[in-house]
Amino acid sequence: MADVAVKEPKVLKTSEPLFGKKERKLITDPLNDNNPITVQVLGVCSALAVTTLVYPSLIMAIAVIFVCAFSSLFTSLLRTYIPKQVRMIVQLVIIATLVTVVELTLKAFNYTVYKDLSVFIGLIITNCIVMGRLEAFAMANKPWKSFLDGIGNGAGYGLILILVALVREIFGKGTLFANSPFPIYLIGKDNETSSYIINTAAESGIGTFFSSYMNNNLLVLSSAAMFIIGIFIWIQRSRNTKLIDIS
Amino acid sequence: MHSTRYIITFTFILTLVSALLLSFLYFGTNERAELNEKIFNKRAVLAALANKLDKPVKKLSDQEVLDIFESQVDQFAIDMEGNNVSSAAIVERGYTGGLAEDIDMAKEKKKPVADQILPVFVYASGGSKYTIVSVRGNGLWDEIWGNIALDNDYNTVIGVSFDHAQETPGLGAEIKDNSSFPAQFRNKKIYASDNTYKSINVRKGGAKDLLHEVDAISGATVTSDGVSEMLFRGLKYYEPYFNKMKNS
Amino acid sequence: MNLVNIFIEAAFIENMVLAYFLGMCSYLAVSKTVKTAFGLGLAVIFVLGITMPINWVINTYLLGEAGIFKTDLTFLRFILFIAVIASMVQLVEMVIEKFSPALYNSLGIFLPLITVNCAILGGSLFMVSRDYNFSESVAYGLGGGFGWFLAIVAIAAIREKMKYSNVPAPLRGLGMAFILTGLMGVAFMSLLGIDPAAF
Repeated sequence: MADVAVKEPKVLKTSEPLFGKKERKLITDPLNDNNPITVQVLGVCSALAVTTLVYPSLIMAIAVIFVCAFSSLFTSLLRTYIPKQVRMIVQLVIIATLVTVVELTLKAFNYTVYKDLSVFIGLIITNCIVMGRLEAFAMANKPWKSFLDGIGNGAGYGLILILVALVREIFGKGTLFANSPFPIYLIGKDNETSSYIINTAAESGIGTFFSSYMNNNLLVLSSAAMFIIGIFIWIQRSRNTKLIDIS
Repeated sequence: MHSTRYIITFTFILTLVSALLLSFLYFGTNERAELNEKIFNKRAVLAALANKLDKPVKKLSDQEVLDIFESQVDQFAIDMEGNNVSSAAIVERGYTGGLAEDIDMAKEKKKPVADQILPVFVYASGGSKYTIVSVRGNGLWDEIWGNIALDNDYNTVIGVSFDHAQETPGLGAEIKDNSSFPAQFRNKKIYASDNTYKSINVRKGGAKDLLHEVDAISGATVTSDGVSEMLFRGLKYYEPYFNKMKNS
Repeated sequence: MNLVNIFIEAAFIENMVLAYFLGMCSYLAVSKTVKTAFGLGLAVIFVLGITMPINWVINTYLLGEAGIFKTDLTFLRFILFIAVIASMVQLVEMVIEKFSPALYNSLGIFLPLITVNCAILGGSLFMVSRDYNFSESVAYGLGGGFGWFLAIVAIAAIREKMKYSNVPAPLRGLGMAFILTGLMGVAFMSLLGIDPAAF
């Protein structure tokens, strides 16, 4: 096969610092100015359905960062060898492999969370952030930069996921990090599996003040994630007016 | 532009590499994953015992769950007449482990009632014995299932644990997520004082008969009715066994 | 369960977009006008209806323990499913281009977008986790596609009207689309009480 002999690009020029200003920007940009969810509108998909609790969202965020970073790295390493005609399928195979790695690892080491996330782990494959970044960045940039871009975008996505989950869990369930090894019970009625910091059934103390407190059930419904993101966008755009959509 | 041959070779090698990688990982982690699944199911059985355990089931470590099952739980399967089913007969039905915990209630539910087998777990602690039985039914979207722990009179409920495939979060899913729902079942009776079978009913608008009813989850009527139906039908399957044990 | 039930459940009660947020990316990006939304919606129905049965066959006869390899190969599910979807989309694109240029002109540009539409892969994964049989998976595919179609056309119509409303500037466009989707989700929840068996 004569045509395999494509020139191998130099992976890293020594003159470029590992963590220069440009590299740092690759990570911080997606956290605000170029957030994958609120600005690029990528990857809003299914993953939001897991945001009822913070802990599964955290695991989901880590999984997305992992898949995003390593698929960017591998795609970038292979970018000169990937035939243009089958580029999509090659990218999908790389992503699908990494996602299966995540799935098998979770199944072996954190079964409860695996049960919680179920099909949504598989859906990282079609999470448009991963594909979108491969197409827009990794296919045209060097491995280290692509890797950082992957981490940045995964983190920008994870940030929104966790923020949404925080609002939904605290006000929807009155707990924090439920289902994790370190749950915190904030407000609610005590029972033998959990004792809340503010016990609404208490006869004395601060609990009596909150005696008619009810969790907001609307926040537990999946639509609530949409409202919360809508409000996040509102806040972000009123602080950062250059993002305002004219249309 | 690459030649067709290059494209095919490239795709083939890539697929082969990833398939090999995944196979290694799969066979490397499979044993652990299966153990996890077993512990998950054992935990659900123990969860029904609620406060009869030394500490809440959530606080038990995986090893403690296995130990309790090893030393304090006696498990076996029964048929619809309440007779014991041998371990070989369980294997014959496709559950290779041959234990009651290996029985897949989802598969059994699809069989004709007379052909089903049921798991029974007996937990012994400090001279008392509690029997845990499994039930399975339908919720709003998909199946729901649960374990019910009964006192030695085969009548008083010690506790229950429920799980579901995909009930609505915040509504039907509360049967599992909201610990106050299963807690209501404690000390309910499945038989009336004249020994007629009553089961436990999940009642919309609040329980009236304090011995045989619990409050429904507001907004989740179908799931609540599903729980009632599941308990009525599922516990009745065990009736021949209960009667046999009471008479012996 | 009968097939009409599954169709109605998939289309209305368990709507892919409004209940599971599947396919949100293209749903938000392509819902600015009703015309394009209509085209994409049709393409989704089409692709879901085709890939679902194919993936069912692959899952049962290739990956399952009862399949031709007699071993459990389900860990290869993701790769095979996505490959089927990508190649089916490509194939469908070529076939349509050849036999119906008119349809291709209206659907063509949307087809590549569908490969990464989570609704397609999600549908196949749900089909597996719910143990559907062949005909049920066809019904689920068509129903899910129809539900997706309905959701995107509805939001596009609302967004067209929204242009004439006085929305706060930072909320215009994307922000409003999110909130509208949430409201539609709540509205669709009122269909929860429907008993599919009544049809």
